[in-house]
Amino acid sequence: MNSFEFAAAPLRCPEAYGPNANLNQKRCYQLAQEFFKGGARRARERHGREQELIRRLEGPASQPMREQLWAYEGLSESKYLRFLRTKEELSNYTTIKTIGKGYFGEVKLVRKKQDGGVYALKRLVKTEMVSTGQLPRVRAERDAMAESESVWVVKLHTTFQDSTSLYLLMEFLPGGDLMGLLIKYQIFSEDITRFYAAEMIMAIEAIHSLGFVHRDIKPDNILLDQYGHIKLADFGLSKSSRKDHDSSYYRELLQRPGSSSQAPNRNSVNIDEISLTVSNRAQINTWRQCRRLMAHSTVGTPDYIAPELLAGQGYSFEIDWWSLGTIIYECLVGWAPFASDNPTDTYTKIINWPQTFFFPDDIRLHPTAINLIQSLIRNPEARLGRVAGAAELKAHPFFAGVDFTSLRRISAPFRPHLASDTDTSCFPVDELPQGEGFGNGGGGGGDGDRPPATAAGGGGGGEGGLVTPDMVLPFIGYTFKRFEKSFM
Amino acid sequence: MSNIFSGINARLRGTSSKAGSARSPISPISDDGRLNTPGAVPRKSKSSANLSSSSASLSSRVLPLPASPALSQTISMTSTGDEILHSYRLPTPLPMWLNPAHAKHIVKGNFMTLSARPKSVDQGEWVAHQVVEHYRNLWNFVQVVYENEADGKSICTATTCPRMSAGPNHSYTWLNARFEPIELPAIEYIALMQRWISGKVDDTKMFPTDAAGISFSHHPNIANTALLSGPDEWVGKRSGFPKEFHSICQTIFLQMFRVYSHLYWAHFVEPFYHLNLEKQLNSCFSHFLLTATALDMLKPPALEPMQPLLDLWAANGTFPPESKAYEYANVKAGTRLLQLGGMS
Ligand SMILES: Nc1ncnc2c1ncn2[C@@H]1O[C@H](COP(=O)(O)OP(=O)(O)O)[C@@H](O)[C@H]1O
Ligand SMILES: [Mg+2]
Repeated sequence: MNSFEFAAAPLRCPEAYGPNANLNQKRCYQLAQEFFKGGARRARERHGREQELIRRLEGPASQPMREQLWAYEGLSESKYLRFLRTKEELSNYTTIKTIGKGYFGEVKLVRKKQDGGVYALKRLVKTEMVSTGQLPRVRAERDAMAESESVWVVKLHTTFQDSTSLYLLMEFLPGGDLMGLLIKYQIFSEDITRFYAAEMIMAIEAIHSLGFVHRDIKPDNILLDQYGHIKLADFGLSKSSRKDHDSSYYRELLQRPGSSSQAPNRNSVNIDEISLTVSNRAQINTWRQCRRLMAHSTVGTPDYIAPELLAGQGYSFEIDWWSLGTIIYECLVGWAPFASDNPTDTYTKIINWPQTFFFPDDIRLHPTAINLIQSLIRNPEARLGRVAGAAELKAHPFFAGVDFTSLRRISAPFRPHLASDTDTSCFPVDELPQGEGFGNGGGGGGDGDRPPATAAGGGGGGEGGLVTPDMVLPFIGYTFKRFEKSFM
Repeated sequence: MSNIFSGINARLRGTSSKAGSARSPISPISDDGRLNTPGAVPRKSKSSANLSSSSASLSSRVLPLPASPALSQTISMTSTGDEILHSYRLPTPLPMWLNPAHAKHIVKGNFMTLSARPKSVDQGEWVAHQVVEHYRNLWNFVQVVYENEADGKSICTATTCPRMSAGPNHSYTWLNARFEPIELPAIEYIALMQRWISGKVDDTKMFPTDAAGISFSHHPNIANTALLSGPDEWVGKRSGFPKEFHSICQTIFLQMFRVYSHLYWAHFVEPFYHLNLEKQLNSCFSHFLLTATALDMLKPPALEPMQPLLDLWAANGTFPPESKAYEYANVKAGTRLLQLGGMS
């Protein structure tokens, strides 16, 4: 018998293939990677749940109890498997009201047609994400929310996409946001401030422990649940050390350098001016109303951003503690410490904070409160939280006697009065454009009946024939589906 | 390459009912229970598909497993690796994907962890899940050879692949409406197949998605449900899957296997190797084989066109010894391939 030989390997020559083939190559490469990463993660989690079931079945449970455990497990897993198989699309939901708007996102209260469940659905427009260089932001938001199991973080149920948009389906927090509370009450007592500050410490700690820096801690990103307890939202700017949270990673994917260059940066400050002064107390609420409008506009406010971040220097977890300091100040004083007529002035004030930061004379604050704020509004090297994180803040005398572990069990100072599960009275719905569906774009990208159109949209590849590959490629791996522990 | 499965492998070891059973490289009994007898290797096996028919039961009826005897029947217990390889009548030189240097993966660890059914989940629900996952994976690769460039040309065309072939010994025909086998360019066959499969997967009567219809599996020691068996029982019945669900899924897996086979035989080098996608293809296909065989969705005669790759993956550790895929492989041939590649 003669011996065998293998065909010789040619020199790899990707250039021999056209641009579409090369884009499909990247897509395929990414999707395969995502498939194994996601699959392994799900298998690991599934295994963990199964071990837990086995452990409980081996325990002293009675026969009917064991039957119930078994059935419950089987039903939960099956429900999740169906959920994974089901193609998510906008048409599965009906809009109830538009409840929020930020720089990129529009948030609607929606009802799932299939089971009547109520959720908050946030939409991000793909073209805007690409043209403004915000791809890492999208990825970061999805990752931060998907990885968290924390009670302090808004729960993400699923993400999906169509040809124009990305969607984040979240739990609906009916209590509105902290900005809404500040508009309503103008100023908080020290006890009430202590409560929100303590909860924010827990929330920031939770997100830091996942390796994410939030970078955008501000009152409109602090949401309130039905009991009045807080949860952190809007991880749009959060940053982890992952490479796919890095702009250059996406530029490489698209091979279109410069697509992000002229972007109106979320934090850029020299845009249209909003004219008002915070010279007297009566004007504060006007200032705040404008602040809300500003949150809805594309301007954004740098009020809560740490100087090192504005200056483009290196920064780390402690920037979130600075933001907390400015919010505590605002709760006690009535306005943000660097509030100005316009973002440019705010920016300048923050950069020069040692000269511009002060407490107003007419406000009496307890020394521990002043000390806490002063140890947060400070250079990063000396800032509280720099060395031992949240533990340092918790140990501050301002929080003396606070049991951080039982915060969520105590009664919150302001509890929303809700008439139904779709009550939007805590949201500025009148200030927002209302209407069925999303503003522009939105709507299902129809699948062509060609082979590449996946039947069930998973992995971010199921777009229809009209989508250009660069609208698909960076969003691979965007799709996420959470296993629901609470079945039924 | 990172071991993404680490930490969960322990569970799979020793849990297989097959573990420890004596195994010869060649199964003397074919999977339909007939005793295998040595015979001539078919020069060309043709199998047909008629999926254009909208009737599910019809299409599953007209999709018999290839009638030709399995290749393994021609191999005796004493065959050497070389003899087995010769019996496959592979082209010379051997296709590049049989070179162990190019049969590698993007992940390491036990692929079985991905396809192990959670014990409390109904078999039908699990099969449905796997069908959809593998379907999404496969079309990901198909898109690379299918999509047109601006000049209207794609990689797999009627000129490059006038038939739906899987090497020199296998090609597949399509049955037209009058059940006549017709040869189609691979790309047309694949497109028709895609349309048929997505029609099934998207049909909520075939693949229900309503959370209200779910169930759970029978537990032998927690006998809260009577285990029915008999003609009125079928895979997935308790979760609302129709009677023909199982055979439809077998057909889907068989057809997906054919598409993979075509990708290996006709497109492994062009374009997948050139585009640096061969490891991705290997990982998806080996995961596919492990799943499909473990669920009894694919059995040896149908695996023929890719038999040597199965052998290689059994020998190089891709297929764990307790897997069905390993059982269906001729490890001796795989070991010989490893030797030929200087990897043993
Ligand atoms: N899960 C939610 N439940 C209730 N309201 C929400 C939810 N998510 C966001 N909102 C509202 O929508 C506003 C904008 O959402 P956000 O995620 O901050 O978007 P952006 O990134 O555009 O700032 C928030 O300030 C809040 O009032
Ligand atoms: Mg926001």
